[in-house]
Amino acid sequence: MSGTITWARVKSPWVLHFNSGACNGCDIEIVALLTPKYDVERFGVKLEPSPRHADVLLVTGCVTQQCAERLKRVYDQMPQPKFVVAIGACACSGGVFAGNYNVVGGVDKVIPVTAYIPGCPPRPEAILDGVVKLLNALSPPKPKKLPKQAKQPVMPAQDAKAEVAKQAAETPQEVKPIVEEAKPDVKQ
Amino acid sequence: MRRQNQTSNSKIDIVNVIENKLKDRVQVQLGQLGKAAIITNNGLHRNVLKAMVDADEKTAITAITGLDLGTNLGVLYHIRTSNGFFTIRAEVPKDNPKIKTVTDIIPGAVFHELEVSDLFGVVFEGNELQGHFVLSEYWPEGIYPLRKDVKASEIKLNPQPQEEKQPEAGRVVKIIIGPQHPALLEPEKFAVTVDGETVTKVEPRIGYVHRGIEKAAESRTYLQDVYLVERICGICNTIHACDFVECVEKILKTEVPPRAKYLRVIALELNRLHSHLLTLGHAGLEIGYETLFQYFWRDREPIMNLIELTSGNRVYSSLMTVGGVRRDLRDSDIPTIKTTLVDLRKKLPFYRQIYENEPSIRARMQNVGMLKREDALKLCVVGPVARGSGVNIDVRKDEPYEAYGEIPFKEIVYTEGDTWARMNVRMDEVEESINIIEYAIDHLPTGPFRVKAPRVVPVGEAVNRVEAPRGELFCYVKSNGTAFPERVKVRTPTYANIPAFLKTAIGENIADIPPNFVSLDPCFSCTDR
Repeated sequence: MSGTITWARVKSPWVLHFNSGACNGCDIEIVALLTPKYDVERFGVKLEPSPRHADVLLVTGCVTQQCAERLKRVYDQMPQPKFVVAIGACACSGGVFAGNYNVVGGVDKVIPVTAYIPGCPPRPEAILDGVVKLLNALSPPKPKKLPKQAKQPVMPAQDAKAEVAKQAAETPQEVKPIVEEAKPDVKQ
Repeated sequence: MRRQNQTSNSKIDIVNVIENKLKDRVQVQLGQLGKAAIITNNGLHRNVLKAMVDADEKTAITAITGLDLGTNLGVLYHIRTSNGFFTIRAEVPKDNPKIKTVTDIIPGAVFHELEVSDLFGVVFEGNELQGHFVLSEYWPEGIYPLRKDVKASEIKLNPQPQEEKQPEAGRVVKIIIGPQHPALLEPEKFAVTVDGETVTKVEPRIGYVHRGIEKAAESRTYLQDVYLVERICGICNTIHACDFVECVEKILKTEVPPRAKYLRVIALELNRLHSHLLTLGHAGLEIGYETLFQYFWRDREPIMNLIELTSGNRVYSSLMTVGGVRRDLRDSDIPTIKTTLVDLRKKLPFYRQIYENEPSIRARMQNVGMLKREDALKLCVVGPVARGSGVNIDVRKDEPYEAYGEIPFKEIVYTEGDTWARMNVRMDEVEESINIIEYAIDHLPTGPFRVKAPRVVPVGEAVNRVEAPRGELFCYVKSNGTAFPERVKVRTPTYANIPAFLKTAIGENIADIPPNFVSLDPCFSCTDR
């Protein structure tokens, strides 16, 4: 059963977008993800307006004083297990606005963050890559098919998935951050 | 520079009018901060403003800048008229910072005054709105962040927020939209009072995206500020950088080479193209026409590719720098730009036909959010919102900057004044932008694309206006001769357009709020800074 849940979670994550005081750069790139060129829905990712239905919280922005409390409240409304992706330099560390009088700086000062996607703003490809990496982390890679002569014991895939799902369900706050590097421009 | 499209109004000489009416009581400094700076005291700023409003119907307030002058606080009223741009200076003592409001003369000044009182502590006597508008509800009393004696690291917020008034129960219901709301891309709050389905009052609360950029700019060098100011907005970033850079160039008295002017125009118009396509699509999303949204955003991507091709990045191009642009246009890129623009132009008739004929668009947009011409003038709205109501203001035409004086283009004006007209202004401007880019590429001068500007900025101050995709964008920079600016003030177009939304939403159906709102092309990261 837990394997099925993990499968469902990985194949159709519902994401909630929260703008915590961003300049619109990252936000527009997230919206661009949904549009025909990038089309993130082919990975089953759906933008969900309500925190109560969302699995992944995409946070952009440097977290202003006004938004910090709301961000915490939105995070608390999400059901377990939940994952937070900080998108953009501001969400990762406060970026160019760090140290300003109205800025808390960095999403991880308010809520635990699972994955960081730096960039100002990160390209849609980088966001896509970050989300896919997060999903891959939830489902462990299938064990490699070994040559027949080397009959080494392999951990059954079912158990590995269950293990990860269990970990994720119990201690979402302790999921190790996956530091995601922005992909260099593919074209140039 | 060549001036175009001069109206009969521009024959009025505002300086003469003021000198006749208030001869010895005010001091007029020609050529300072626009066409002239008018130094007033003892509440005479109201008389000057009254004289301007009486002389010219197009008189509108662009911004109010607060200044910390040591023992005094300066209040600068930046006024645009059809005869040029003026600044009225007034000063108030810091220990008793009271000044009379101008909202009875120009109703559009209400939020400008509110911002200055929030950030500088100037009390505008007679302005009904009070309380925090930009700052957090946890903000401590008596601390005004833009005053020089306030250090960002020493501010301690209150543990408890200021209490908000609870709405009374009954037929009248208060609906809170935001801060986190599916229809809003950005965190803002609008308390909408409805009687049945009809909106009776809208109370905005902005400031959720307030990052204190104006204060941060004072602790960074001019070159660093270009990148900081650019990050006011992720959509119209190029124009923000351009505005600031032009302002610094005015203080430095640096002349930009002709090629740089044309390259800037190309970058600015590409920016306008992508911003307008974004909004035209977003409007589709707000009225439940998602196909239109997907189509527009599909066609926006080639423009993003062009921005990347010409500047090196999709969003933050950082193309502008003091003295020119950072990157030249490669000749090998020109065919790509031209074919992409031709492709986009071929698609425009389809979209125009949708906006003209599609019943769902007409039903949701026509006669929604009616803003009459006189209201548009009174509320000092800018950009496509004003041009959709028959007010022909466009900084590119009125005070041509960069190469706009040499490039022929049409000023799009619709007279209907509804949401549909405002969206159609943008639709036509997309075509004009394509024309401008093509003209600029064909007439691109040769020569250097930047000059070396001096690093030390002399003491001085300057104002500058440019036409952002959302309307007139204003910047004020004051230099004190050090490596850091004394004051940077930016007034963004959405800030000037909010009063229009508050006015037009009243009396309409609550379901008409989203299309009405999106027709302003709201950008709150701009608004809050």
